[in-house]
Amino acid sequence: MGHQISRRTLFRTAGGLAAAGALGSALSACAGGTGAGSTSSKLTMTWWGSDERHAAYKKALAAFQEKNPKIEILETYSGYDGYFDKFNTNIAGGSAPDLLQMDRALVAQYARKGVLTPLDSYVGKSLDLTGFSKELLAAGTVDGKLYGVPSGIGISQLTANRSGLEKLGLTFPDREWTWADLKNLSVDIHKKSGGKIHGVDDGGGGTLNAFEIFAREHGQDLFTTDGKKLGFTPETLQAWWEYWAEMRKINAAPAPAVTSAAHNDLTKNAVVLGKALFTFDSGVYGAGGSITDATLDFLPTPQGDWSGAREGNYVNGGVLLSATKASKRVADSVKIMSFIAQDQTAIKDMMLQRGIPPTEKARSVIAGALDATDKRNMDVADYLSKRVTKATNDLPTPAAPPQGADQIWNLLFQSNLAIAFGKKSIKAQLGEFFDQAAGILSA
Amino acid sequence: MTTAKTDEVAKGTPAPATPSDQRERDRMRRRLARRRGGGWWPYVFLAPWFVGLFGLTIYPMLDSLYLSFTDFDLLTPAQWVGTKNYERMFTADPVFWDTVHATLLYVAVSVPLKLALALGVAMLLNRDLKGIGLYRAAFYLPSLLGGAVAVAIVWRQVFGGDGLFNDFLGWFGIEGQDWISSPDTAIYTLILLAVWQFGTPMVIFLAGLKQLPRDVYEAAEIDGAGPVTRFFRITLPLLTPIVFFNVVLQIIDAFKTFTPAFVVSNGTGGPLNSTMLYSLYLYKKGFADLQMGYASAMAWVLFLVIAGFTAVNFIASRYWVHYDD
Repeated sequence: MGHQISRRTLFRTAGGLAAAGALGSALSACAGGTGAGSTSSKLTMTWWGSDERHAAYKKALAAFQEKNPKIEILETYSGYDGYFDKFNTNIAGGSAPDLLQMDRALVAQYARKGVLTPLDSYVGKSLDLTGFSKELLAAGTVDGKLYGVPSGIGISQLTANRSGLEKLGLTFPDREWTWADLKNLSVDIHKKSGGKIHGVDDGGGGTLNAFEIFAREHGQDLFTTDGKKLGFTPETLQAWWEYWAEMRKINAAPAPAVTSAAHNDLTKNAVVLGKALFTFDSGVYGAGGSITDATLDFLPTPQGDWSGAREGNYVNGGVLLSATKASKRVADSVKIMSFIAQDQTAIKDMMLQRGIPPTEKARSVIAGALDATDKRNMDVADYLSKRVTKATNDLPTPAAPPQGADQIWNLLFQSNLAIAFGKKSIKAQLGEFFDQAAGILSA
Repeated sequence: MTTAKTDEVAKGTPAPATPSDQRERDRMRRRLARRRGGGWWPYVFLAPWFVGLFGLTIYPMLDSLYLSFTDFDLLTPAQWVGTKNYERMFTADPVFWDTVHATLLYVAVSVPLKLALALGVAMLLNRDLKGIGLYRAAFYLPSLLGGAVAVAIVWRQVFGGDGLFNDFLGWFGIEGQDWISSPDTAIYTLILLAVWQFGTPMVIFLAGLKQLPRDVYEAAEIDGAGPVTRFFRITLPLLTPIVFFNVVLQIIDAFKTFTPAFVVSNGTGGPLNSTMLYSLYLYKKGFADLQMGYASAMAWVLFLVIAGFTAVNFIASRYWVHYDD
């Protein structure tokens, strides 16, 4: 019996080492440093998107390189997941890309932190922005300077399963519709489908845009212009959550588990699964492609009350192209931005992969080549951008969202879910939401 | 320095300097030098390890300790803020407490279950059957896949609303639910995943079982001890050092769990932060919310908590772990 398990010290050492090693790796993963400058001799460009968008970018860039053989481009691309995590790490490690696709929701944050370089001095020279409207350029403008070239008119739309609606014998709603219309139609869908299909996926926290338009209809914005505070009142958010609580109660919107499963996972979206016919998630027909077999159509976000409604919609810039401040190739990056925005070949290569093209000219270049769904998509966007410009009582286009906006969105999502799962009352959650939001915006 | 000393020794030797003597002396000198530590050569060979230890472990650890007292957004230089991060963690961040709750639940439930299963299966596999190697490999397999993203993705599919698990329940007429997107059950799918990957402690248990002395069992059997008595009176006591080793390692591992939580919840830690394990929140704070200072502070709190748990384990082990010496 003398030789078996008695190696006390061995255990101690082995255990201790394993523990120390394990901990060390956890801690050292959390260190960082700042540096600057890109290391490659090639111009590095990065974007996120679908496979179709990757192919479109690559084609457009190939066309660019034919005309500018001296500018070599190193292309890196991925899905949205982790894209900005990687970008942050690259910036911190001094290997930031020269040119990148930027999220409208984050541009202000990066511009204010001095990560992006202002483009104003190139506009009208190597950066041709002919045909871009002022409202559109606002999407890339932070504190009066242009930090990103918008890719197109982004309009907050509802994606609708048109064929599903027809199958139930229901008529497609009018573009001038209200939140009450959405509720009635959703109830009809649930009844006519024998309780199998809900009307619309839960918008109570699903997307910040839907609530934003709701708030703007009440003359309020998501954030104050300086980005330090929330721009809407608790009453507005309460009305919003009450609307969606009602929607869930009458089965117009699906159960919280369905909403929760779709968080960050488009394939679980209620419209994609056939559990609802309307969704606020533009990803279902994002980047010019669909992930469902249903025939899709598009609708503006409903209004509070159509006759004399206050316009809540606005035109945003799709995605942006920005150059980093640390880059030594800003002039070359600007050439690429200009080429993608204005060159006919590039416009045709891109089609709707980055949203509805920003200029009339670009839209007419691709109009003939669009498939039916793309055409409907562009029609609604066109209609909406005209409606927005005509509206006399609309708010100005909101300033680019401040740092922490994505956390606020997450908070809205989680709050709505907590209410939906019955973990919190609307009143209690309202207090928590405003407390936590204040913390996020002042951090 | 070593060479200088050897020279002195050499000088003190009053031998005539014939060429062969000289050669002999050189050889002696070299041998001596080797015995005294060999100069700097060993350090050259150790250098890569030192570079790794200081460059990749100690320096980053100290750096992260420094950063934990700063506001650092990765993009602009760090600003010293004293203990603000630590204060915020304990007083002003409700999500932090959500993650503490989720993590403690995860550790407390998954570790004992995993170890019990590992020991049980190890005992089943500790016999001379035909093809036993194959069985052992089959049970170990899930652990090889350990942190793999693919397994976590499969998990998401299996326990989703229209997943395999609900199909399985359907055979018995039970209507399932979406286990992963309900805040009451999501964490248990992660626990189940952890328990399923019991292979590593199982192999260690198996190695321990193999070393247990047969004569003791034979003696016990002759005295009429049944299998249950044999397990509790012989196997378990003799095995306590192995149990201890596994407990310590599994607790540390469980505290650091990241990948399954990240993948199964799609990086959200949802629903309602129910799967927001500590490491996942730490990662989100550092790399997504650009609060690396706060994330570093969280890392150090985790370090202290794990160190605390490990210390308590070692102290408690005095009362239940039986060594043979």
